[in-house]
Amino acid sequence: MRARSIRNLLLCVGTALLSACVTSTVDQMVFNEPTDGIGDSSVVILGRRHSSDYETEPDFVSCVGEHIAAADKSIRVISELEFLNALYPWFEPRTAPLHPADIERLLQQKPVAQKMAALKVEYMIWIDGSTESSGGSGSLACSLGGCFGFGTWTNDSNYEATIWDFTDQAEVGHVNTSASGSPTCLP
Amino acid sequence: MISADSMRRFTPLAIAAILAILAGCGPARVVVQGTFPPPLIEPLPLTMGVWFGDDFAGHEFFDEAKGKKESSWIVSTGAAQVQMWDTLLRGMFRKLVLLQAKPGTGQPDPGLDAILIPHVEELQYAIPAHTHVKVYEIWMRYRFELVTPDGKPIAQWTMPSYGKTPTALLQTDQEAVNLAAVMALRDAGANFATHFSRVPAVRDWLQEKGVLPGAAAP
Repeated sequence: MRARSIRNLLLCVGTALLSACVTSTVDQMVFNEPTDGIGDSSVVILGRRHSSDYETEPDFVSCVGEHIAAADKSIRVISELEFLNALYPWFEPRTAPLHPADIERLLQQKPVAQKMAALKVEYMIWIDGSTESSGGSGSLACSLGGCFGFGTWTNDSNYEATIWDFTDQAEVGHVNTSASGSPTCLP
Repeated sequence: MISADSMRRFTPLAIAAILAILAGCGPARVVVQGTFPPPLIEPLPLTMGVWFGDDFAGHEFFDEAKGKKESSWIVSTGAAQVQMWDTLLRGMFRKLVLLQAKPGTGQPDPGLDAILIPHVEELQYAIPAHTHVKVYEIWMRYRFELVTPDGKPIAQWTMPSYGKTPTALLQTDQEAVNLAAVMALRDAGANFATHFSRVPAVRDWLQEKGVLPGAAAP
């Protein structure tokens, strides 16, 4: 039962990373064979925001969460902002754990341990990457009143998702994807 | 021929249009607005006073355009600063007292353990038009004074904070700068909450007060 749940979770993450109406490939997908189920625990999806020249888009992180929740109703997904606010200041870019082993240090803070127990967080999915736009054509002007015009361009996305098992404090899965597509905008 | 009724209807529209044109010519103004969560930490058993000076509570950053293609910017952070620091400090200390007068100028409150005085020393911003990188960024440098209830210095230190937000379709420069400023304020709170008791002079004082055992806390 648990093995199926974790596999579903990983496949959901992979599917969510791919399902942006674009040409995409999974470069790498590895995961440990799990031994137990998600049960009534929950999953949180967080964006990595350490890089100076790009930022994992909050909208994308939210989109992945919606795909996971839609694909498997048994998985309860906590929204990124709800989690970041509930655990403030421990998951800000400056303070967020970089390795599963850092979780133990975090749980030494009694209020953090209590909050994590209350939220029943079993898995933490870190998404790192961004979408770059290039080769634009058309004209799209934006101001305080909104946008006007027509534009088309190419989006190149590169994302990596890492799944941590919060209880075992270990990395249990890893997905790498890249995608390319041409959206059009006519506000 | 234009009737008096048409004129009455036309005048407010004309004024609004002129004001809109004039507003477009002025500097880009951002009054930073956001919500800030309380910190999830064990409060220190201290009664802390805080003094938000006029320069802090009314903090405003002005950057004049350097060329015709750029616009000037006014970023007002004062209200958001007070909101964030009030929320943060209430969660960090057993009791927080907002002072109405500058420390050392009136009768010292004997119930206070110390008074914290924050200052924004510097603020810088960058938008994609400046850097060609698709993020909006805000840097701030704070200076903190920790003084006794009668105004004698205990510690003084500086602290940086940084916030950025990616470009997004249908998002104005003002909205993005606001979001970057909110992220910088959250970062300031996170930095302060996790490093307060590691500042050497503060750590020594906390140890003297018996709040810290000997080793540094969070």
